[in-house]
Amino acid sequence: MMTSTGEAVLFWVLAPAMVLGALGLVFARKAVYAALSMIFVMVCLAMVYVMQQAEFLGIVQVVVYTGAVMMLFVFVLMLVGVDASTSAVETIKGQRWIGILMGVGLGTLLVTVTARAALPETVGLDEANSETNPAGLARVLMSDFVLDLEIVATLLVTAALAALVLTHRRRLTPKIGQPERAAARMLAGDHPVNLPAPGVYARHNAMDVPALDPEGNPIEASVSRVLRIRGQEHSLDTDVTTLVATRDAAELTGDHGTDTAAERGGQNDDTDAATTEGEA
Amino acid sequence: MTPLIAAAPQFVQPEIWWTWLAPYLLVLGAAVVGVLVEAFVAPRARRSTQLTLALVALLGAAGWNVWLWVDQFAPTEFKAIALVNGSLMVSYFTLALQTVILVVAALALLVVADRSRGADDFAPTAAAIPGSDYEELARTKGLQQTEIYPLFLFAVGGMMLFPAAGNLLTMFIALEILSLPLYVMSGMARHRRLLSQEASLKYFLLGAFSSAFFLMGMALVYGYAGTINLWAITNGHALQVPEALVGGRPLLVMGVVMLLVGVLFKVGAVPFHQWTPDVYQGAPTSITGFMAACTKAAAFGAVIRIVVWFAPFIGLDLHEEIQVTIVIVAIASMLLGSVLGVVQHDVKRLLAYSSIAHAGFVLVAVAGVLPYDGQTFVFPMNSAVIFYLLAYGLATVGAFAVVRLVRESQGRGADAVTLGEATHLSQWAGLGRRSPFLAVAFSVFLLSFAGIPLTAGFIGKFTAFKVAVDGGLWWLAVLAVLCSAIAVFFYVRIIVLMFFVDPAADDTEPEPAREVVAVGALGATSDAPVGTPLAGEPEAGVGLRLSDELRRTSGGVTVLKGSVGSRVAIAVAMVGTLLLGVLPGPVLDLLEKTVNFLP
Repeated sequence: MMTSTGEAVLFWVLAPAMVLGALGLVFARKAVYAALSMIFVMVCLAMVYVMQQAEFLGIVQVVVYTGAVMMLFVFVLMLVGVDASTSAVETIKGQRWIGILMGVGLGTLLVTVTARAALPETVGLDEANSETNPAGLARVLMSDFVLDLEIVATLLVTAALAALVLTHRRRLTPKIGQPERAAARMLAGDHPVNLPAPGVYARHNAMDVPALDPEGNPIEASVSRVLRIRGQEHSLDTDVTTLVATRDAAELTGDHGTDTAAERGGQNDDTDAATTEGEA
Repeated sequence: MTPLIAAAPQFVQPEIWWTWLAPYLLVLGAAVVGVLVEAFVAPRARRSTQLTLALVALLGAAGWNVWLWVDQFAPTEFKAIALVNGSLMVSYFTLALQTVILVVAALALLVVADRSRGADDFAPTAAAIPGSDYEELARTKGLQQTEIYPLFLFAVGGMMLFPAAGNLLTMFIALEILSLPLYVMSGMARHRRLLSQEASLKYFLLGAFSSAFFLMGMALVYGYAGTINLWAITNGHALQVPEALVGGRPLLVMGVVMLLVGVLFKVGAVPFHQWTPDVYQGAPTSITGFMAACTKAAAFGAVIRIVVWFAPFIGLDLHEEIQVTIVIVAIASMLLGSVLGVVQHDVKRLLAYSSIAHAGFVLVAVAGVLPYDGQTFVFPMNSAVIFYLLAYGLATVGAFAVVRLVRESQGRGADAVTLGEATHLSQWAGLGRRSPFLAVAFSVFLLSFAGIPLTAGFIGKFTAFKVAVDGGLWWLAVLAVLCSAIAVFFYVRIIVLMFFVDPAADDTEPEPAREVVAVGALGATSDAPVGTPLAGEPEAGVGLRLSDELRRTSGGVTVLKGSVGSRVAIAVAMVGTLLLGVLPGPVLDLLEKTVNFLP
């Protein structure tokens, strides 16, 4: 069967693009670029398959390789770190040049030898696809290659088992859940329940001021440990207490001081500045 | 025979001859059941269940093969039987080689299963990071990775399918089935785990690379013939190439050479040998033995299948191309294996180079393939290769079983801790005094490797080289004999070391400090001409630590007793090696049937 013009045009468009993609796979320093080049090559390959009337193979190429395998690949890259790049250090000196030389040599050999081949007209495609391509393929798979299909199944079992062996870690220590944590806390004599929330006062950002216990003493633990370590805690000195006391009194008498709001705003600004500083 | 090509418009259900498929089903089925055993059997009973299952499957399949040979195949006039539309092609050659693989694998399994005190080869759990707390915890809790048994069976199943494949696709799948479990098992060593994982990764990457060559070769052959069925490729133009296909012959030549690259990688022939020393050294020693013996047998089955299907029948030019390729590879393997073996100081690396040399010796026989003369369908190399592989397999499994029992140790008396193998040659000095049985057995294996008369190795080499001489390659046979002579040097050196040299490290005084070479996770321990002594770890069960400082080892060497199973395996291997050397007649007569056309 002769190659039609459309097929030839599509081939000469796709083939150089695929070669470029393949080169990108080899030369890209970043793993993600390499993976994307590979996806590109695979999609082009699928188009070539479809063009050659192997529709089933084309679709499978997209669904299985591009869709599943390469996406998993990209996921793994994301997990490992997108920024990871190939190390260009040679462990054996001159290895790269020897490798390039050998590769070019092999390539030349392959190209020259296969270019010498004069292939006869291809026959049998219409017969094979006489009843749609997938049906023809199914017939071959289920008759001539049914054994291969079965042993591929054992290959998959092997792969799954091997992956489990290499990655599955059985739990050797008892699982520590909430009850165990609580029990351990009780045994250690720690605070049995949640720590008290920080105090809420009008003039302060509530997070940084300790709460008061029933006797009016500040509870240290109620302020976040992080703030305490950073020294951003505001001690609830007597001033504040009196302030609170006077505010309470003022509220009782219905006298709302206007300056409190202003002060609170100022206070907030300070806290924000402190927080940003802390984060930086 | 079933029809080989079914291009019928109507779906024709393939005939499945269960009797002939039973050995494969038995081994692969047992492997799948083994996976289920992992899920449903209590941990305490798992190992014994798995071991029983695996041994029954291996020996059962071997017995079934013998029955097929005697009762089913012999009465027929067929030279081969095509199964499932030609996916498998069973012949005397296949049956014999599979039986060899199964028997040697059963011996190797006995060694793999050895968990006697201090002799366990496998990490408590392969998923633990070397040197981590989790690993230590797993070790103290006595965890075992019993998944090795199903993996082992899968590998054996692949090895059985490999030389039986009737089309290239089956051959490729079989190649993968046998390789995948081996990649994983190489990374599961208990001691020196980083080295083991490095070996596993190297093996995997290079193996994947070589598989790609095989696939490319398949594609090229398909491009030439329009089929991947071995029978169909040669059939119809066995004696005369059809006019239409003449133009495509370059594709065929290139394709066959690339197929050979794929299988010669598994064989470990130069220049596809780079993985061999590192993987043999890093893998758990019992797995190294299995891998060396059985993989080589299976892969040579595939080599012969490719050579015999393609070389003699499709024209003289292809025969010449293939023969030249094989001769070059054979010479390179023999020379490199023998010469680099001389400078090795590590027993496992030494055996690795020896295996490379042996691959070369077998290829000498393969190179003796003659073009089809229009009359006889006889390939004397078939029987020679099987005999060689049997002799080599027995000696290899035995030798590695001995290597794994010679351990470094620390402390004395009751609190002595056994560490990894004492692989440095200096540690083997005086083994004959310490453990006469092991030393004698090891000497027998080494003499067999060397090809000294009265051992199986001699008969193997003799028949193999005779094939080459008959094939007109007498100079290659002479070269092979010379290389064997070089190799004798390093085998005999070990024997002298074991029996006539006093142990350097007496138990009372520590051996002088040896330099611990820093072994990086990658890169180090390449083909350095001088073997790098690797000191053991002060703590048992912990992998080799990265260290560039000098460390003192106590240098103590203990010889473990090993389990009954592994001692039986060593004894059987030794007796087999001697018996095949003294009385090779019956076996050679049996193998005479395999020389018929169709390997």
